[in-house]
Amino acid sequence: MCLGVPMQVLAVEGHTARCAARGVERDVSLFLLQHEPVGPGDWVMVHVGYAIQRMTEAEARSAWELHDEALAAGDGPTPGAADA
Amino acid sequence: MSAEARRWLERIRALPLPERFRIMNVCGGHERAITMAGLRRLLPPGIELIPGPGCPVCVCPEEDVHQAVQLALREDVVLVAFGDMLRVPVNVPRRVPRSLEQARAAGADVRPVASPMEAAAVARAEAPRPVVFFAAGFETTMAPVAAMLAEGAPENLFVLLSGRLTWPAVAMLLESETPGFDALVAPGHVSTVMGPEEWRFVPERHGIPAAVAGFTPESLLAAFYSVLRQHLEARPFLDNCYAEVARPGGNPSARRLLAEVMEVCDAPWRGIGTLPRSGLRLRMAWRAHDARARFPAYEEEGRRRAGRMPPGCDCARVVLGRIYPDQCRLYGRACTPRRPIGPCMVSDEGACRIWWAGGVASRRSTRPGSRSARDAKTVPGARRRPTLAADARASRLPGLDGTKADE
Repeated sequence: MCLGVPMQVLAVEGHTARCAARGVERDVSLFLLQHEPVGPGDWVMVHVGYAIQRMTEAEARSAWELHDEALAAGDGPTPGAADA
Repeated sequence: MSAEARRWLERIRALPLPERFRIMNVCGGHERAITMAGLRRLLPPGIELIPGPGCPVCVCPEEDVHQAVQLALREDVVLVAFGDMLRVPVNVPRRVPRSLEQARAAGADVRPVASPMEAAAVARAEAPRPVVFFAAGFETTMAPVAAMLAEGAPENLFVLLSGRLTWPAVAMLLESETPGFDALVAPGHVSTVMGPEEWRFVPERHGIPAAVAGFTPESLLAAFYSVLRQHLEARPFLDNCYAEVARPGGNPSARRLLAEVMEVCDAPWRGIGTLPRSGLRLRMAWRAHDARARFPAYEEEGRRRAGRMPPGCDCARVVLGRIYPDQCRLYGRACTPRRPIGPCMVSDEGACRIWWAGGVASRRSTRPGSRSARDAKTVPGARRRPTLAADARASRLPGLDGTKADE
């Protein structure tokens, strides 16, 4: 639940962003990021379907390395599926 | 492991390390990252990484789970909850459904959701049938729940809120006679939402080194290095090793929405008791969406079940970092992810579940192909070393006196 997933924004409509990570696309709410502009190409940290912060691409990639290791170990959370 | 992580490890190894130094984390994501990256085995001997109260499912009180199970069984409702919550058992008489999963098997309409938005979508699809959203979580989950309500939830959606704040549990440990740790790695995403400043009380009031960390090995190792340096220089402060994401002041929209929708209240923690001002409840303005107001009969019934833990379950002591997961009598024996007895073995953020997934065997049995806890360098209670005796300053700091056993 607290395990955030970094995703990249593809398109924004109102408070909803179409986001992608590892080939999985999900609608993510931007309602908690009303105070700052978010646009296509930006990376966001997603918690239970809500973007809670913008982040850099480098941070997103680094965070994904860990998810990949957890998934490879067979017991990781399923980021795309569980959090979007 | 990245070159940057290796550099942090080398810097740590080059420090004049104390004989024993216990670093607590209070986030299931941190514990998972530590275990999956094998950081315990890589760190020098004497540095202990203690999983503390970092799993919201694990601290969700029995009475709330009981309330959710009974609501699902006895009312014509759809009960939705985060997937983790469905398998959390409560201690009830035999043949009575003891979890939401068992309630579903007994005919209740229980469905897992991955997001508050999904809960709202189920309510829209099922209207006018009541949909109860059993939402347990820390600040990171409560902000999205608040956002969902503020954005406009369907009339037939009722939230059974079990929200908890992370810092009061740490404050409780620090104010106890035996905090059981010498430094704190503060949670990255709670700090992202609430602001890192929330954790200043740890160094400023208690003299305990603290650093906010992200979820990569390099960020965690940087935080370990920081708290070790703070200790060695006798200069505790709140460092931020996740500064780009956990910004000063936190997320202003999230904090505003949380304050608008929820208010702080005293709240019970599973197996721990009531901690003052540690919970979140819906404000009166949102009463129309409060499951406790809509179905009041179940709250009192649930309250009578307070504190009834399964026999032998040590989840509460695991949550408080008093013992490591593999020190529980049931770990890996009676209690496994397939047949969990306590919530720490159920949740993805539970320390027991994470250690089991990381291959740590029970201390009382051998699991083929698994590492022993000692290999994983996690045998703290077994060691009773005098610690930091030469450090004159240490005797003034809670948790650094080296004389008190931490269990």
